[in-house]
Amino acid sequence: MPDNKLKIGIYELTGCAGDALLIIDCEEELVNIFKAANIEAFLMAKSDNNDEVELDVALVEGSVSTEKELEELRKIRKRSKALIAIGICAGLGGMQSYFLDDKDWAKNLKAVYGGVEMIHAKALPSKPIGDFVKVDYFLPGCPIGKEQFLSTFARLLAGNPPELFRFPVCVECKWHENDCLLNKNILCLGPLTAAGCGSVCVNHNLPCVGCWGPSEEANRTAEYKLLLEKGYDPALIKNKMANFSGTSITQFFARLKGETK
Amino acid sequence: MRILKLKKADLYRFLEVIYKEADIWAPQKKGDKFVFDRVDDFSKIELQTTRTIIPPKKIMVPPMFNMFDFNEAGYKEDFSHISKKILFGIHPCDIHGLLTLDKLFIQEYPDPYYMGAREKTLILGLSCWPDEHCFCKSTRTNIIEEGYDLFFTDLDEFFLVWIGSSQGDDLVKLAPDKFDENLSDKDIQAYIRWQNDKEKAFKTEIDFVTMPDLMELKYKAPFWQEAGDACLACGSCSMVCPTCNCYNVADKTFLGGKPGKRIRTWDSCTLPEYSEVAGGENFREDKSDRLKLWYTHKLQAYVSKYGKPSCVGCGRCIATCPVGINVKTIARALEGEEVDAFWKKMSREVTK
Repeated sequence: MPDNKLKIGIYELTGCAGDALLIIDCEEELVNIFKAANIEAFLMAKSDNNDEVELDVALVEGSVSTEKELEELRKIRKRSKALIAIGICAGLGGMQSYFLDDKDWAKNLKAVYGGVEMIHAKALPSKPIGDFVKVDYFLPGCPIGKEQFLSTFARLLAGNPPELFRFPVCVECKWHENDCLLNKNILCLGPLTAAGCGSVCVNHNLPCVGCWGPSEEANRTAEYKLLLEKGYDPALIKNKMANFSGTSITQFFARLKGETK
Repeated sequence: MRILKLKKADLYRFLEVIYKEADIWAPQKKGDKFVFDRVDDFSKIELQTTRTIIPPKKIMVPPMFNMFDFNEAGYKEDFSHISKKILFGIHPCDIHGLLTLDKLFIQEYPDPYYMGAREKTLILGLSCWPDEHCFCKSTRTNIIEEGYDLFFTDLDEFFLVWIGSSQGDDLVKLAPDKFDENLSDKDIQAYIRWQNDKEKAFKTEIDFVTMPDLMELKYKAPFWQEAGDACLACGSCSMVCPTCNCYNVADKTFLGGKPGKRIRTWDSCTLPEYSEVAGGENFREDKSDRLKLWYTHKLQAYVSKYGKPSCVGCGRCIATCPVGINVKTIARALEGEEVDAFWKKMSREVTK
């Protein structure tokens, strides 16, 4: 029966499936999600998936790390009016893609898999989906947040773009009247990290680890030098910064390397 | 105006009496810092505090709140943050902060969310002692002449209590036996001595008279770029400032036919989105331009409109900015002094 509900597909590429799982975990809202839109494809939730239909919105989780995924992604893009990257892997590449150049990647592939032939799909250096297709919006988070997902979903249904947080966690952290952990010499990535989580870690006296990825204006140079001055080991700072930054950290590290030479 | 004497031991008894009138909010511990919070246990009220992490503006306009619920049929305003409150333990700088916000929120475009809460909040001020970051003597906000219902000056042995309004007088009348109208010469001497000692206790002084001109003369000074490069654009300076009043609004919609909410949140001119217009153009793309705007507002623009800076000397920006960009370091840089702050060290490393 034809109706005017939005046609939506939810897809998973290389990742832990945490973002798809989070959508399933929106328990009390699940019925509303399925009522409000036609969920044409969602492998984790249903078996009667339609992978040919034209979509209004595709939500894609995970990075591209095989030729098969790349092909699938291109097909999804072709039949979708809007494509939204959900989670750090789709938007930034995730841990599997950070700061590997292609030469290192070939060496690592051989070290891990030896001479094993991949028969189902040829491996590629893992990359964020935006490296291959146009991404209209990016919902950050590892995994994405329930509240931001649901409000984005509701905005899409009303024909509005997502309302994303463009400032760092520190703003929300001050809204919650937390004492700044950096000022207590604790390695906190709040100033570098996109808000939207409600500063949940710092509210519980734990430092921000950066799981919502870099904020729009992340001042990595200042934070790096500030942490160095506080006595932190350069390798530790870099690892922390890289965890949820995917390929977006590459340029910063290259510049650091240039400075120390 | 009347000034009365209250025995130290009678303070909690007085608070117990007025607690029946409204919720009391007062400074309490959070970790090793202080926050204004609703009082459930009088023993948790901190009398010897300096600044709270966030100023009491949060009681008038919470950092994030719903302005109204809406659907196709219309909208319904949500004033649920407004309730009768007694704000106890607020220091002179923060009372001045509220007086500044009154000008911004009430004079031109009266803001019902601010006004409603402001009118329902009684201000019971408390004297304080400066730490190394306090500079309210320089902003002349160390002394309070208006903006309170009662003001308590702590003279170790007893409090001197100023009655600043008829509502304050009404509170005193709820427990008249606790207050003594007869002040001895010795009491008055104790107050004068305390005031003189406090005047001498300030460790940070800033000459605000020269600031409007220096902002003009040093508008292109290189230190602005250095500070901008170090700025984390974290917005904390605005969040903790008692006179920063900018906010953002965004509509939140829900599934299942629930009404939408228009959410109002604290904003900052140091954030990139603040100066962006439709089409993606940004008037202040560079962080140094945004810092200049912040400091122009505090040290110059407000002065030309109201005759005094909109800084109240609370020292929160000094205690908060992780990279040492604050009214003190900027004032020193404007004065042409060598500044010992992280942003200075960082710029040296960058240019190396």
